[in-house]
Amino acid sequence: MSKKTRSYVEFLYILPFLILVALMSYYPLYGWIYAFHDYMPPKPISSETFVGLKWFQFIVSNPVRRADVWRVLVNTFAMSGISLAFSWFPMVFAVFLNEIRCKPYQKFVQTVTTLPNFISWVLVYSVAFNVLSSTGAVNTVLTGLGLIDKPIAFLNSKDHIWFKMWLWLTWKNAGWAAIMYLAAISAIDDQMIEAAKVDGATRMQIIWRITFPCLLPTYFVIVMLNLANFLSNGMEQYYVFQNNFNRKTIEVLDLYVYNYATQGRGNYPLSTAISMLKSIVSVVLLFVTNTVSRLVRGEGFV
Amino acid sequence: MKRFLSALLTLIMVLSLVSVGAMGEEKPLLTIDVYDDAANYNGIQTGWFAKVIKDRFNIELNIIASQVVGNTVYATRSEEGNLGDIILVDKAKFPEIVEAGLAKDISDKLPECENIMKFKDQIDVFNKGLTGEDGKYYGIPTEMTDTAPDTLTDDVIYSSPMLRWDLYKAAGAPELKNLDDLLDVLKKIHEIHPVNEDGDPAYPFTLWADWDGNDNMIGIANVVQLTTWYGEKLKGSAMLKPDYTFSPLYERENAYYKITKFLNKANQMGLVDPDSGTQPWDTVANKLSTGRADVMWYSWQTGFWNSVDRLNAGTGFIFIPVGDQNYYADADRYYGSDRMFGIGAGVEGEKYERIMAFLDWYASPEGVTFQHDGIEGLNYTVGEDGKFIPYKDNALMDNLPVPEEYGAGGYSDGNNQINQWIVSSICVNPLTGERFAQKYWQSYKDMTMTEMKKEWQEKFGAEDSVDWMKKNGKLLASPSVDFTPAADSNDFIALRSDVNKALCEYTWNLIMTCATDEEFEALWDEMIVQLDGFGYKELYQHDIEVWQPEVDAKKAAAEL
Repeated sequence: MSKKTRSYVEFLYILPFLILVALMSYYPLYGWIYAFHDYMPPKPISSETFVGLKWFQFIVSNPVRRADVWRVLVNTFAMSGISLAFSWFPMVFAVFLNEIRCKPYQKFVQTVTTLPNFISWVLVYSVAFNVLSSTGAVNTVLTGLGLIDKPIAFLNSKDHIWFKMWLWLTWKNAGWAAIMYLAAISAIDDQMIEAAKVDGATRMQIIWRITFPCLLPTYFVIVMLNLANFLSNGMEQYYVFQNNFNRKTIEVLDLYVYNYATQGRGNYPLSTAISMLKSIVSVVLLFVTNTVSRLVRGEGFV
Repeated sequence: MKRFLSALLTLIMVLSLVSVGAMGEEKPLLTIDVYDDAANYNGIQTGWFAKVIKDRFNIELNIIASQVVGNTVYATRSEEGNLGDIILVDKAKFPEIVEAGLAKDISDKLPECENIMKFKDQIDVFNKGLTGEDGKYYGIPTEMTDTAPDTLTDDVIYSSPMLRWDLYKAAGAPELKNLDDLLDVLKKIHEIHPVNEDGDPAYPFTLWADWDGNDNMIGIANVVQLTTWYGEKLKGSAMLKPDYTFSPLYERENAYYKITKFLNKANQMGLVDPDSGTQPWDTVANKLSTGRADVMWYSWQTGFWNSVDRLNAGTGFIFIPVGDQNYYADADRYYGSDRMFGIGAGVEGEKYERIMAFLDWYASPEGVTFQHDGIEGLNYTVGEDGKFIPYKDNALMDNLPVPEEYGAGGYSDGNNQINQWIVSSICVNPLTGERFAQKYWQSYKDMTMTEMKKEWQEKFGAEDSVDWMKKNGKLLASPSVDFTPAADSNDFIALRSDVNKALCEYTWNLIMTCATDEEFEALWDEMIVQLDGFGYKELYQHDIEVWQPEVDAKKAAAEL
């Protein structure tokens, strides 16, 4: 087999994946066409329905609307930012979990913290509702103890909603995210730890000088992955927790698009236009991160 | 064991052969796709109603419920060019469906459907409005009545304040002149009845948010409904005043402001369920049926509480008039409700004939009896005079088991999942000479002529609530006209969605979080600025233009 034919054959190996990428990642971009049309079911789009950039102009047509889009972007950045800023939490959790000497207790804690990851957000909300509603466990206990005479409306309040959302996210995800670090910890060479012990290092010193430095590469990979999902911070969580009292601060970009497409009869062109906005912001973010990476590490990753 | 099994299998095979033979020339099983904007259930119809249809037509219904699977199913199915075999859509969508060629011209078969054609007058009016005078038929209106456009048959209107009679009496049964008096009596009621029998907290008002913005009307559904107590009716985003003029919803002299302020005062007094803004309707339904709400305002809500036993015990909900109110009510929906039946464009040949036969049965006395009254021997019995007598009237409420012979399963689970009727329940059933709806049967009236009802009649000097309203000149009955509002363009869909979202958010905060009047007024002013920013004025102008023809028709009908 000549070198040339071999390269053709080898190309065939990756062809299925190329087709898959084209189908799943590029073909859906065709749907962007709806953002440039006045599409309204049941009428299909045609040259008559073409409206150009009308829907993009609509998004920024007056101060109230601009403020609305800005508000949604701020929510998205804030909540993604908080989880990014606290992304060290699962690592610290894993390190301390690893330090528990009583193995059965360690397994117990790990299982209990991992399980919530497998519960859907809808169920998480029903847990939240049963615990925090006006007749929920917390209010019942507080009124029973005579600490309050009117139930506190935890779920109706818009105060500290970003932080509360982070708490729920952590409750659900921390155990799962820790698994990666636990695996990395078990890969640390025991000889290093033993040597440190011989040198008289304390437990905290071992953690600080050996465990953390060994975990850092894993940590950076995970941060990088999280950065890629910066704008797609998932809408299920915010969808189930949103209500008329907290929507102003909880509505993220994905949820905003969803609400546009599903409220009333649904305006598909406008939702498509807003979701394109998301892609544009993503691309900007990508270039910013890449530049930062080039400045800091000397090499980009794109 | 093996031999037994093979014997059993042989037996089954023989039996199935026999049964196929017995069916002889019967038509094969036909599955009909029903695209349904009214259904709360998605999938194949099961239970007793499925059996009723299968026994008669060998048909099964596959219901595609946009309310369950999301309204995007409307977009995807119309892209495919086939909504369903039977199409049941919101009236406003019907013209565009016909225009897009998704609905079939049924002019050839519809005139042969003698049960449906009893409503020829209404069907003609609708289809002429759709395609002009060419005499073509596309749509069949739903819930048409056999009365007249200006008749009001109900003895209780759709929305009016209803309190529990025993609690109202315990609070001294005071005369109520206005909403402040109502608040005073509710405060007393709340003191008398802070918890239900199980010890769960009860509140006068328990509201819910998941109906907000429905039916193209902006704002909180509960508040919008209560505005009819002052003779106002929301049309899209515009308030229709009793004198047939429009006014912007957020003006302070309109009922939306009055009711929001009233509910906020109630909340300040601790009379509103703190879960109001977050709980879904299902939770509220549960609270209504367990006695955790002291006020009802939809006539059908009493169905969650007023059983014959409770009426006898005097604990039922009943209309309590408030002096300064002037109640808006729609007259009988002679021209039908807000949805339309049509046939899918691709339906042809024998399938077409079978579907039309089914629909005609759906409008026949037998079919309508099943839809509105249920099964004989389970939901009603027939007296010696041939008239119906209520029996187990909790079948729907408690999902009673249905006997094997009627198709087994729970009664409510097997109920007609199309959830929309061609014939209204206030039509007269030719089989009995009485109206289909149970509450008009003489037997039911005799059963519910309780002490409570007698006391009420004595105190207010009227037969029933509509009678009281008529005698005291407090009823604004709006005549029924045939009118299809033009569908929104994408621009107005976006405006309506934005305005509605902002309005609901502000209204909920106005009701539930404002602690003082100053706070309330300041937030109301802020709301006006926001709504205008989202294009309220534009939307308002649009809605006036859309609804003016209906108002003109109503005016003309009222002057006749």
